[in-house]
Amino acid sequence: MTPTSRLEAQQRADEIRIFEAELKRLQQDGVVTLTEEQRHTIAQHHAALLAQYAQAFDIDRDVKAKQLSLGMRIASFLGALALAASVFFLFYQFWGLLSTAVQVTVLVAAALGSFLATMWVRSKDATGYFTKLAALVAFACFVLNIAMLGQIFNITPSDKALIPWAALALLLAYTCDLRLLLAAGILCFIAFVSARTGTWSGMYWLYFGQRPENFFPAAIALLLIPHVIDHRRFSGFAPLYRIFGLLTWFFPVLVLANWGELSYLDLDRGIIEGLYQVIGFAGSAAAVWVGIRRHWPDMVNTGVTLFVILLYTKFFDWWWDAMPKYLFFLVLGLTAVLFLVVLKRLRGFGRTADGAPES
Amino acid sequence: MINWSRRRTLIAGTAVIALTNAIALLGVAYNRSGEPDSVLQLTQRELHPAYHGWGVHDNSGMALRLDWRLITAERLDINDVTFEYSGYGGAPSWLDKAKLHELGFDLSRLEDTERGHRFYARQLPQPALLVLEYDGAAYQRSLELVRGHAEREEALRIGNPGKKEFEERARHARELLQREEQSNSRLFVIDAGRDAIALRAKYPDRSRYAIVWGRLRLSVSFDKREPKVSAYVSEVEPSEINIPKAQRSAFQDKTGVSTLYPTGSFDVTLAIGKRLEPWIVSASRGAAR
Repeated sequence: MTPTSRLEAQQRADEIRIFEAELKRLQQDGVVTLTEEQRHTIAQHHAALLAQYAQAFDIDRDVKAKQLSLGMRIASFLGALALAASVFFLFYQFWGLLSTAVQVTVLVAAALGSFLATMWVRSKDATGYFTKLAALVAFACFVLNIAMLGQIFNITPSDKALIPWAALALLLAYTCDLRLLLAAGILCFIAFVSARTGTWSGMYWLYFGQRPENFFPAAIALLLIPHVIDHRRFSGFAPLYRIFGLLTWFFPVLVLANWGELSYLDLDRGIIEGLYQVIGFAGSAAAVWVGIRRHWPDMVNTGVTLFVILLYTKFFDWWWDAMPKYLFFLVLGLTAVLFLVVLKRLRGFGRTADGAPES
Repeated sequence: MINWSRRRTLIAGTAVIALTNAIALLGVAYNRSGEPDSVLQLTQRELHPAYHGWGVHDNSGMALRLDWRLITAERLDINDVTFEYSGYGGAPSWLDKAKLHELGFDLSRLEDTERGHRFYARQLPQPALLVLEYDGAAYQRSLELVRGHAEREEALRIGNPGKKEFEERARHARELLQREEQSNSRLFVIDAGRDAIALRAKYPDRSRYAIVWGRLRLSVSFDKREPKVSAYVSEVEPSEINIPKAQRSAFQDKTGVSTLYPTGSFDVTLAIGKRLEPWIVSASRGAAR
């Protein structure tokens, strides 16, 4: 199978390195003996593959290069955020001194120019680090473009602005294979769907965050997207949808489990909080179970984290005042031990479960 | 990566950016086309500077905020005639249950039950069309209330010669009256509705009545210890009105320093267009008032 992305190529290169190390050990222990010709053929094949991947995707050939890559990833992420903020503040610093026509021209030109620049950088940059930087600046320019048009012409704020923002972020994410832009697109999508859900009840759209249930349709949609659209060619995209889906579902549940008065449900506050506590525990446990069954570590980890957060917040509510502090923390510690035992058993179950991992 | 050619990506991205800008700008052109929905001649009494939290050094833009007021139920009470937070909303006397029904609010719950109380307290702001009246009957009513208050306080001062408390109260009431006559905003929210055409038919004078978007929120107040559902005007759109570069000179003195402070005076012609979005048509330095 030919890798279609840098991440896939890197994964294959890592597997080759592991294979070479293991083969060396097996030969040293006398478990397997290869002829010189066989050894040469394998080595030649792997060298050709690595050279091909290095040329096409600029992969890290060894551990040292990989460590440097991690540093570059962090630098490009921070750089992208800083550059986006710089564009924002640069415009605010001078926009009042420009005529309306110049303001509009600058905004449109910045959005279009930065998008075209991103496409140009992408064609020259095999690593993807500079593309990520350029893409986030292009997205920031477009967000600034539309937000400032609203400010310049006193346009009534609308949630519809989130649609083109999401569209551009997703276009950049899918064409340049950028998870950072995918996250930006997903956030716009969550805000838009939640705002629309909120307006159905008659509220003004900007208040959608004050009714946590508004986020549930977006959460369901995000969890379904990787099932409906095949994401195998996009490394890390399907997990990102699942993680955002789980978080978009869980945080509103966590809020409602503690502040029932924020719910749409016209029930007693205690009943609402109890209901959402049950939904929270059952939902996060179900996420762990599904994650194990489907071999989705992202879902397992997110589910476990959410379950623990919910449990600890409830422990705090129930026992912080009632218990001596040493006992409270002892209970927390024992709960963590119990978790480890359960997860160990689940890990054993996961090993024996049938089926190949799904992306 | 997606199997899209570079050309298709370029076309799609350019189209998203160009189309979004085109839709926004066409909306602006439509809003400002033809005769505006209303044109108000305002001064520094009705418009005050919008302060940007992150400082003037980082933001060179200038904007104004509408200083709108309400005749609230509290102000109609003779003891609370001066109770008012201009521009921060309040429950106007005209926003009664019948009006709330007309605006589509769900008032089916009984307010004197705990469940009903909870229901109304949890309601979030809803969008509504608001009618702003400039220098009209509402302002005259407000003036009348403050003037009556000043007269009552003056009568008390005369009836209690030499008493410092009454002298102070009378002085305070005179100052309030002076502010009401000379510097307080004359822009009042006087009605709300769902249909802009019907509201315009009810208030045809476009130089005195402007229709804008705003937000109303239900609340439960206590009238003589009895819970009572009311609603208050929580916001009026737009929160800020941008001052274009061409109009900035009206808000700056000869040295270029902004006069967007209480001492500065200016006259602004504010138009509100077909989409009920405002813009500054003209602005000039006003005579010191």
